[in-house]
Parts: sequence; C-alpha cells; structure tokens
Amino acid sequence: MLLSSLPLSNLITELAIVTKQRHIHSFQDSTAAHYMFQDDPYLTPRTSAEFKLYSLSQESGRLAAKHIVNTNPKFFQKDFAEPHIPCLMPETMEPRIEDVSEAALLERIMLRKVKAAVDMYDQLLQAGTTVSTDATNDLLDLICLYGDHDPLQDDKPEVEDVVRYSSGISDVHIFNALISAATEVREKYNEKWDLIVELLKQMNEQKVKPNLLTFNAVLKALRRCGSLARAQSLHTLSEMKALGITPSLASFHHVLGIFYKTGNYLMLTEVAGRSFVPQDPDDVYFFSTAMRICLETKDLESAYRVHNLLNVGENWRLLGDSFQQSIYYGRFFNLLCMMEHIDVVLKWYNELIPSLFYPNPQGMKDLLQALDTDNRLDMIPQIWKDIRRMGHDNKSDLVEELLSLMARDRHSPEVQESFAACALDVRSLYKQGQVAKVALEWTTASMTNITTILLAAQKTKQAWDMLNIFKTKNRVPSEELIDEFLVRIKDGQQAVELVQISASFCLPSTPNLAQRVLQEFELSEEQRYGGGGQKSICIPGSYLLFIHVLVFSF
Amino acid sequence: MNTLARVGTSICTNPETRALHVTASCCKNRAARIRVGKGDRPLTYEQALHPHHIGHRKGWLSQHTSNLMGENGAADRTVEDVFVRRFIFGTFHNCLANEIVIKRRGNMLVVCALMLQRLPPQKFYFLIGYTETLLSHFYKCPVKMEVQTLGDKAVYKYL
Repeated sequence: MLLSSLPLSNLITELAIVTKQRHIHSFQDSTAAHYMFQDDPYLTPRTSAEFKLYSLSQESGRLAAKHIVNTNPKFFQKDFAEPHIPCLMPETMEPRIEDVSEAALLERIMLRKVKAAVDMYDQLLQAGTTVSTDATNDLLDLICLYGDHDPLQDDKPEVEDVVRYSSGISDVHIFNALISAATEVREKYNEKWDLIVELLKQMNEQKVKPNLLTFNAVLKALRRCGSLARAQSLHTLSEMKALGITPSLASFHHVLGIFYKTGNYLMLTEVAGRSFVPQDPDDVYFFSTAMRICLETKDLESAYRVHNLLNVGENWRLLGDSFQQSIYYGRFFNLLCMMEHIDVVLKWYNELIPSLFYPNPQGMKDLLQALDTDNRLDMIPQIWKDIRRMGHDNKSDLVEELLSLMARDRHSPEVQESFAACALDVRSLYKQGQVAKVALEWTTASMTNITTILLAAQKTKQAWDMLNIFKTKNRVPSEELIDEFLVRIKDGQQAVELVQISASFCLPSTPNLAQRVLQEFELSEEQRYGGGGQKSICIPGSYLLFIHVLVFSF
Repeated sequence: MNTLARVGTSICTNPETRALHVTASCCKNRAARIRVGKGDRPLTYEQALHPHHIGHRKGWLSQHTSNLMGENGAADRTVEDVFVRRFIFGTFHNCLANEIVIKRRGNMLVVCALMLQRLPPQKFYFLIGYTETLLSHFYKCPVKMEVQTLGDKAVYKYL
C-alpha cells in the first residue's frame, strides 16, 4: 500500500500542511457565533446549553407565529406578492377538492384526515377507477401511522387494517421495513440471516426492485448478526455496485460498525473526494462513527482525511444536528490533544471553539494535559478565561486540576504574576459561595495550591488571608506550606505570628519552626515571651518544656 | 329704528347664522419637538434633535426607494412602516431603547432595533422568531430583525 512506502513522518507533515491550508468550511467564520443568532454580546450563546436554549426558543417563537397565522387565516389572505409565494399563505386544514378523484384522495392523505381518506378510497373503488400504486402506498402509510382513527388520539396502529389493504400489494418500502424488523424476530445469528435471505427471495419473486434503503436495511441488520457479518456485508456491497446503486454514507456507517477498527482505511479510500447527498436517516451517524474509530485506533491521518471529507461539496450537511456535531468535534479535538504538537492543537482550538462546538469539561482537561505535555503552562490563564466564559467554572475537578498544574513548578516572574492573578480569580469563585450562588467547595488541595501560587508571585498579603481561610474552614495546612511561608517572610512579627498559627493547628513541626524563627530573626524580648505564652496552649508537655528552655536560653 | 335693526341682525342673537371663530395665530412648529422643561427629563439623540435637522444631524428612520422620482408606492410603504413600528413597540413591551429603523433591501424588510436588556436572551429570541415569521406572513416578503442590546437608554440631554 502507498502508506507503507513513504516514511511516516513525511506523510504526516505533508498531511498537516495540506490540512492547514484548508479552512473548515469555506463560508465558516471562526470568530463569530452561528449565523442564526443575533450579533450582540448579550444575545450570543456561550455554552452548549445556551446554544440549544436560544435556538429552540427562536424556533418555538416561529411555531407560535405559524399557529396564529393558521388559526386566523382571514387576516393573512391578501396576496400582493408577485409571483405568488405559497409558503407565506396560511395553511388550510380542510380539504378543498370535493369531487371523487385521486387528487382528492392525495389531498386528504396530506392533511392527515384518515377517515376521510379511507372513505374517498372506498368511493373510488366503488366508482371503478383504479388507484395508482403510489397513492395506495401513501394511504397504507397513513393507516400504519395513525391506525383506524384520525390523529390526536393515542391508539396504536391496527395491524388488521394493514393486512386488509395490503393483500396482493407488495412494495419495496414494506420489504425494507420487514428486513429492519427481522433482527427483532429471531434470536440466533444464522436464523436472522436466513430470514433476511428469505425476504430477499420473496422480493425477487414478486419482481420488486431493491433500492438503496433495502441494502442499508440489510447492512444494518447484519450489524446484529455477529460473526456472519463480515463476509456477507462485503457480498452486499458488491451486489449494490453490480445493481448500479451507489452506497450512501449510511451504508458506510453500518460497514464501519461491522468491521470496527480495521474498516477505516477501506472506507476512506472509497469515500475520499466524493460529495454525498442525504438519502438515509442514518447518514448523519457516519462522521461521528468514523471519528470514534480514529480516536480508538489513535489514527491521526485518517482523522484528517475524515475531516477533509467535510469540505467536499455538500457533505457538511451530513454532520447532523448540533448534538451529533458536538460529538464529532469533541472526538476530533480529543484526538488532536492526544497526538498533535501544542501549536497545532491551539490553532485548531481557535478555529473550532466556540464557533463550531463547546467542549465539555473532559475536553478542557485534555487540553490542559496537552499544554502540560508540551510545556506550555503559561497559556493557562487564557484557557481559564475561556473556561469561565463557557460556564465550566463550577466543575470542581477541572478547577482543581488547573490549580495543581499552576502550583506544581516554578516559572519565570511574568508567568508567576499571571498565575497569581488567575489564582485570585479562582479564589473569588470559591468565596462567592456565600452569596447563594452554586459554587465550589473549598478543599485542602485547592487552598494549598492557591496559597503556593500566591507565595511564588510574592503576594504575601493575600497568602496570609488564605491562612485565615484555612482556619475558618477547619482545614490544616501542610508543613511544606508553612515552610514556604517562612522562606518568604522578612519581618520578625510576622514570623512570630506564623509560629502561633502553626501552633494553633497543632502541627508536629511547630517546635522546629519555633527554633528556626528564633535563630533566623531578630526578635524582641516581648515577642519571644509572647510567642512562648501562645505556644503553651496546645502543645504537649514535653515540647512545652523544650520550648521554655529555648526561650529562656536566648 | 336703525339701531334696533342692527341689533336684530347681529350674529350672536340670530340663531340661523353661522360664523367662523378665529383666534390669534400661533406661528410655531410643534411637530416632533420636546420643549425645554425643568431639566429632569432625559432625551435620546433622536428625540432631542428637531425634524429640520433630518439630513443634517439626524438620519432617516425608514429607508426605501419609493420617494425617488418616478417610483410608486410611497404611501403604502409609509402605512406598512407605521404598522411595523406599532407591532414591534407592543411585542417588545418596554424593551425598546430608541425608535426602530426600517430598511428595505430588494424584497426584504430589515427591522433594526436597539433593545434594553430587560428580558433574558431566550425570551428575546422567542419574540424575534415570532415577529419575523408573523410579519413575513403578513407582508408576504422576508422580514429579518437585527437587534442590538444596551444596558440603559443612551441619554443625550436632559430638558
């Protein structure tokens, strides 16, 4: 194969260059929200929940207006559009054609008047006119859907009616439906396949030509057939080609499901460069399935190829609704964070977010992981701003991960400054919990990390405030933290206070601390005694003696 | 005799005559002008400038081509405008910050509005979807809204 003949790194860089040159969609603006929203900061959605809420409320406003138009048609009858625009006229609910004809039957079917349609059909048969198969099929569909009654009632469809009207009429739609149902009816794999083969033979006898949906139904049923599936699915595909039916994306989706991990290369060579049209309701699952397989096999080149397929022709329509899109882009971004260099990841981040999808907290964690791997932790304050904007700032595990990454290593002074500003921002989030907002709970880890970050940026005053918070929340700071404080403190009074605080937490390292303070700082007599008095409150007796000895010896 | 006759023919006593009542004329323009008051009434730029400033310091609130030479339909457009203004004023109750601007581009009617942030965004979107669809069905042409939001009304002057 071609892939094995080139060195892999060359191929990857080549693909990377090609993909960098292309935009996601030629008309997509990565700096703006979706075009259905108003261009205003107050009205732009910032999270996926807001996206859904605003788009659904706009749609429900439209439906409300349509309802008013249809219930008061007399105000909307004046037609001064040249040429006539039928979709802007109020919809009529009553059938207009009164004479007994097939057109009248079709109109009643379209208006979903089941009883009227059935009566019209009976009248037509009595009058002796033959009804075309298309009209009969539509009538059958209507009866299957609504049963014996008109819509607005909740009864299940009556099977007897279907049987009564379908004697002798066989149709490709019915066979498709029967094939789809075959997997439910039999238990074992070979029995399922036998039933499907029997149905196909019946189709052949009745001279009904299979169409795309028939083959897709067969492939979908094969997914539930286990080990038989692989060979039979390839046979099915070749039969499709022999009959001249081009497979749609749904066919490929089912084959991917059957072949699982090994199917990807095969599929990509087949679909590369082709523009698809929506033909099957399952078409929309192709892209997310393909991306899932790329993610599980950690195959970046295939992922780029799948993504480039979106740029071809009208394929972007087949990405599905916003939920499917978010799954697809979520998996794509996950793969990128795992496999790609951080610059490429950040480039894709700017292109995809937030114009195309809103990552969930796991996606943001993957991004932080990628930053950590490539040593770009200085980007964390910017990422924190995005996290806040997306509304993920109430996810405690994400916030704690962020804090621990900032607190872990030493960086240059500017970076430490930005970290400190970010940490203060995070701290304000915790504090807001008192104002009845759904907020984060303080944990020891988060408090320790914030204090470490503040100390590293020389913000000693705020770090002292943090120690008070330790007190109020009944958490004990670690000894390393107190040691760090000692390193930063310049003033003797503060050092004594530090020892007092350490004593009040009953830390075992307090005596060492006291000794160090006495050695390293210039203390007045009063401070020494005052310190000693405080210390005696909670320290066990042996230590007490030791400290008194120390104090009186200097 | 003469005096009596004159009194008899005077207008106020004779019930079968009519006359024209005239007062001293008030030679002032009063259209679209808010007069100077105590100084506590906030005015927007639109309200503060008088109609003779249109074209000089103010723009037009309604833009269409029927006032050009040889074009028809000016009256119809005006009536449509008035309806649209009242409709939007009522639908977005208490949310308008200023007069709306109506632009006609080809077949489309574009309503540009400045709103106050009095409603949560999902309610705005509901009303926007509702307005666009209802007006499209009413006028048989595509109607689009372009909305910008403000925190408070932009005050230009206090009169």
